[in-house]
Amino acid sequence: MTSVLILNLAWQISTLALVALGLAIVFGKLRIMNMAHGEFVMIGAYAPVITSSLGLPGWLQLPVCLLTVAFVAFILERVVIRHLYGRMFDSLLATWGIAILLREAVELIFGRGYQSVSPPISGTLSVLGSDYPAYRIAVIIGIIIGFAALYWWNARSKVATRIKAMVGNPDLAEAIGINTARLSAGAFIFGCCTAGLAGLILAPTIRIEPMMGLDYLIRSFFALVVGGLGSLEGLGIGAGIIAGTQSFLGAVVSQTYGYLAVLTLSILFLWLKPDGIRSSSR
Amino acid sequence: MLKSTTKLLASAAMALTLGTVSATADIKVGVLVPDSGPAGLFGPSTRNSAKLAAEKINASGGINGEQIELVFADVGVPPAEATQAALRLWKGEGAQAFVGMHDSAVREALIGRFGGQVPYVYTPVYEGNSCADGLYITGETPSQQLAPVIPHLAEKEGVSKWYLIGHDYNWPRDTNALAKGYIADAGGEVVGEEYVPFTVAEFDSSLQRIKESGADAVLITLVGGGSVGFNVSFAGFGLDERAIRLGTLIEENTLAGIGADNADRLFSSSGYFASIETEGAASFAADYSAAYGADAPALNGLGQSAYEGLMLLAALANKAGSLDVAAMDAAAEGTTWTTPRGDNTLTGHHMAQTIYLADGSGGAFNIVASFDNVASSEACSN
Amino acid sequence: MTALLEIDTLTGGYRDTNVLFDVSAHIEAGSVLGVFGRNGVGKTTLARLVQGGLHPVHGDIRLNGRSVGDLPAHARRGQGIGYMPQTSMVFDDLTVRENLTLGNAREETETYFDRFPRLAERLDQPAGTMSGGERKILAFVRTMIEDTQVIILDEPSEGVQPENIDHMAECLKERALAGAGILLCEQNLSFLTGVSNWFLGLDAGRVVLNKLASEVPASELRSILSL
Repeated sequence: MTSVLILNLAWQISTLALVALGLAIVFGKLRIMNMAHGEFVMIGAYAPVITSSLGLPGWLQLPVCLLTVAFVAFILERVVIRHLYGRMFDSLLATWGIAILLREAVELIFGRGYQSVSPPISGTLSVLGSDYPAYRIAVIIGIIIGFAALYWWNARSKVATRIKAMVGNPDLAEAIGINTARLSAGAFIFGCCTAGLAGLILAPTIRIEPMMGLDYLIRSFFALVVGGLGSLEGLGIGAGIIAGTQSFLGAVVSQTYGYLAVLTLSILFLWLKPDGIRSSSR
Repeated sequence: MLKSTTKLLASAAMALTLGTVSATADIKVGVLVPDSGPAGLFGPSTRNSAKLAAEKINASGGINGEQIELVFADVGVPPAEATQAALRLWKGEGAQAFVGMHDSAVREALIGRFGGQVPYVYTPVYEGNSCADGLYITGETPSQQLAPVIPHLAEKEGVSKWYLIGHDYNWPRDTNALAKGYIADAGGEVVGEEYVPFTVAEFDSSLQRIKESGADAVLITLVGGGSVGFNVSFAGFGLDERAIRLGTLIEENTLAGIGADNADRLFSSSGYFASIETEGAASFAADYSAAYGADAPALNGLGQSAYEGLMLLAALANKAGSLDVAAMDAAAEGTTWTTPRGDNTLTGHHMAQTIYLADGSGGAFNIVASFDNVASSEACSN
Repeated sequence: MTALLEIDTLTGGYRDTNVLFDVSAHIEAGSVLGVFGRNGVGKTTLARLVQGGLHPVHGDIRLNGRSVGDLPAHARRGQGIGYMPQTSMVFDDLTVRENLTLGNAREETETYFDRFPRLAERLDQPAGTMSGGERKILAFVRTMIEDTQVIILDEPSEGVQPENIDHMAECLKERALAGAGILLCEQNLSFLTGVSNWFLGLDAGRVVLNKLASEVPASELRSILSL
């Protein structure tokens, strides 16, 4: 029993951290409240549907996912987001409209109905005495490695500092040689691509339909509210608390209480500690 | 002054548009479909099925010799707005009867608004026990979907330990209350019962409870996306090897979302599947694809129910000789007619019909059993 | 021989409002151009037009004879034009160390720490927590150590203690001696006259004086400032 509970916790926390990563970058770093974040998860989840409908081999799912998401994010940045950096409320309204547009576009292409995606690894593995889906174990390990790599890179690269400098003082950032237009576009597209990647990875384990994005936006937002904006540690803590609470209470009490607890926690944090547990921004 | 001018203009415009469209139609029937909202997925197949039914009715002489014309309204909206939309069809466009494929909240609001003054056929799967003058039901109720099916599965699949899981609202609770009786009668036991909020998208902890309960059968009354998510994870955890699943609202779209990999031993109980091979069903499916093409929105029990509703309306109105509610109520009991679902009888304002059990293994419904003339125990006392 | 930096009939300002009209000047390598004038005559506008934060309505800026007037600020920095703004001159959220290392540095900070030891003590402190004068010094040092040919400084001495202003003057002279061209907008007359080789006087957005420093008596400077 306990080993499955632990694995479920690991699955929930790691996948939520991956889903929320893009929002943490775009909202936490660029101060763009990207309401279309969930739609990028959705587009990523449709990547296998795109490849199979075009008759492409399975290994193209990843490049198709990243290219599609990057293309949409690029256009969006050029046309809309570019004019809204630092304008949180305006960006919220604009990206909400974009979210609806993206849903409608996907519905137009693939229809309203559900899609299904086969996992690349099927079957279950016996871990610590209980059967667990092999694909999920591969994903958990992959996400842990991915985040470790990101943490290592983030600590060494100046990109995070440059972004922070740009958001705090864009004119000075330009004056010291930072191409702010390219840096912010790059960060936005990178954030959207991580969301798309999350969608692709989750696709074999979830429902896939044009409206699916909203769930992921809300859970990501909760994780950021609790964990605080601006650091990978905060993201990890937020995902851990939100997914952990839901998963643990869901297992030992009931799903209803798990969901209520998550809602209550998020509201309490918004009310009493709006900067979250870890906030490096202030 | 302004108001009356506007009214005049509106009715003039309406007369003009209607005059051009409905030169030959004598009876307007309001068809209430979910074009938007959570059930919006079923809007297109519902409309298509309704149009096929109107053609069929008109080809065989209409209602009491008069041709019918369908007028549509979107009721995939909150009850108050849905009622307004229905009212526009009724008072504004002169609809003389209604056929509705929508949720129960909208139905209750409409019953109140119609007040038994206009015949109203309610068509989707629902929890049962809704009774009013002029209200006729074609949708399957839990007793119809479960009474014959649970003993059948107990015998054929050898299952006895049932776990009941559904979304947290009245349809799953009502269904499970009945299911417990059928399970006990079949010599089985209920090893767990759980209701999850609509907002929950992850079912890991529920799956763990199912596994620990030792269940060999799971009755699923989750709806839509929740059902897809649950069933995908269910198979992912390998639970499909331990237990069969039975759903009472798993139609073709839901199965497509669950996917071929995750549908082993997933049974569904319904009055209609696109894959029913009877002559009536096959010719209906052929008409449907001839009319709307191979890429048309897939046929399914909810969409097709609009066809059933219109056929019931025609059969009953023809028997009563009018669309007057009192006359129809008097004639209702024992009305029989035949549709793609099979031979139907109206008993207690509900439709006794053939119930099909399909196995979704491999990602497509394969009919494994059918039960003729199953009456609802949640019908009305006349 | 072309000047290191040529400012050619520059007109520009903010959005629809021009602040500067037909300003021409040039800076030779190894020299300091002292820009002066009362508040609001366009010194900051000139600095920002040259640095790239504002774009000219007409006129041009040439670095080593090549036009940079159409380049964005970051690209001008890439060509070797450094800039210290008058306000918001540091990244408040970053530490002192990050402020100093984020851009491309030409030289080590050690020699500057000898002159401004407070900076060395506060390397890991967020820059926003320091006093106004300390932030000026941080921004000044950041601008000095960059690998630039032209350095634009907008009121570097404002709020800085006199002894540190003297250190700033030493630094500027050294940097000029090493071949840089410096555009210094300054209100502090003694600091300005102490370092400048050439004066550019502005009033109401127009050039009122453009002369070799040695040819300008102090009385003329004062009269322009009190116009």
